[in-house]
Amino acid sequence: MSVPLKVIYNEESTKSIGNDLRKVAVQPIVNYSNISKSYGDLQVLRNIDLDIAPGEKVALIGPSGSGKTTLARLLMTLEEPTSGTIEVDGEMLWHQKTNGKLVKANEKHLHKVRGNIGMVFQHFNLFPHMTILRNVMEAPRNVLGLSKEEAMERAVTMLKQVGLANKIDAYPAQLSGGQKQRVAIARALVMRPKVMIFDEPTSALDPELVGEVLEVIKAIAAEGEMAMLLITHEMDFARDVADRILFFDQGRIIEQGSPKRIFNNPESERLQTFLSRFNRH
Amino acid sequence: MWNWDYTLLILPQILEALKITVSATFVAFAVALVVGLILTLARRSDFKPLSLFAQGFIEFVRSTPLLVQLYFIFYVLPEHGLSLSPFIAGVMGLGLHYSTYLSEVYRGGIESIPPGQWEAAKALNFTPLETWRKIILPQSIPPVIPVMGNYLITMFKETPVLSAITLVEIMQTAKMLGSHSFRYLEAFTIVGVLFLVLSYSSSLMVRRLEVRLNLR
Repeated sequence: MSVPLKVIYNEESTKSIGNDLRKVAVQPIVNYSNISKSYGDLQVLRNIDLDIAPGEKVALIGPSGSGKTTLARLLMTLEEPTSGTIEVDGEMLWHQKTNGKLVKANEKHLHKVRGNIGMVFQHFNLFPHMTILRNVMEAPRNVLGLSKEEAMERAVTMLKQVGLANKIDAYPAQLSGGQKQRVAIARALVMRPKVMIFDEPTSALDPELVGEVLEVIKAIAAEGEMAMLLITHEMDFARDVADRILFFDQGRIIEQGSPKRIFNNPESERLQTFLSRFNRH
Repeated sequence: MWNWDYTLLILPQILEALKITVSATFVAFAVALVVGLILTLARRSDFKPLSLFAQGFIEFVRSTPLLVQLYFIFYVLPEHGLSLSPFIAGVMGLGLHYSTYLSEVYRGGIESIPPGQWEAAKALNFTPLETWRKIILPQSIPPVIPVMGNYLITMFKETPVLSAITLVEIMQTAKMLGSHSFRYLEAFTIVGVLFLVLSYSSSLMVRRLEVRLNLR
């Protein structure tokens, strides 16, 4: 598969439209430049430009099928953009320079850049054949190459942080949905990514279990240094945690701004309609 | 008619040959397990020539009789400088033949793994090799162990065909005993009973294993 390449110069991306909150001097931890993604005739992302500053918490809201998840999956390298470029910490994600020319990245390059990114999935995706402890320590042990003792220490610390230190010997099947998701959060955090993606982390949970997961994510957000990309339908949560809210519809960023601005003074009609659906309940 | 004295006289010799039959089964099964896995992985490879080769090999081996393959390995390869003992030729032939079936078994196990497992492995930045070793295979193999057990039994029952390339397993032994004494009844009955007892008891074991795996 060949990817049409588009070189986007930095001068251009720094003045990309709409990043009203970002201070220009900081190098973004994530930069999407003119990203599009299609499946056959279906275009799910249309020329997205987006910068995320280090430590910034960005919430993506919008109707299902608007492209929010796809945007996140491109960053996690689970799917390949049809055109455009993504940079992570100043380095191209899907492309690399070979002899001065921009070519599709090989697995080695992807592996290197991907290490900056972590992801929590809607359906947890824990490894069912491993205990909770092994779920969390397997990647530090194998991917980061830590010693068994170091990996275990890190994993236990992380599991304490999400309130599951007493479950380390259990298997995922023995946990509630909320507990599973907290393990999944610990598993992603233990790798100390610079950017963390939460892809509808509470959508698959029973309503009474949503709170415990949101609390954990809030606590992590409060620590500050890690950038977050939060895809959520929990509007109160987005308002509390995010520095900036992006409203997605039909593969485009329709509107963005501070939570206050977005929720109190939505400009576009589409956002107004979208939010009214939440306020009614 | 049935002669017990003769039966007891030839029994030790047949039991001795049973060792060959059983070891040929296990060695061939080991070959089939290893080659089967390699074929499965090769077939899934992004490198087209490799996956096409694996696919072609599987189709070819399945579409030709085991006996022809054995003759080829044992009688034709020596003409090209590769002489194998009956045992080695036999386990190679039987093992390669069944590797194509076991490859299908592995495939079933691997395809039953939800895509989320691959995605989680990628999100944690496991290399493809680590993903296979730590995440995918440990989950895909246990559920298919009973099916593999059934193939082991099938291969065991298939070993008499190795007598065609002069391997002295129980079938060959029974044939030789018969042609010495002109008594075939006892020898072949013993062979049949041995196969029955061993296959049936193994299949009971496989069934128990299946129940235990389902309980997990």
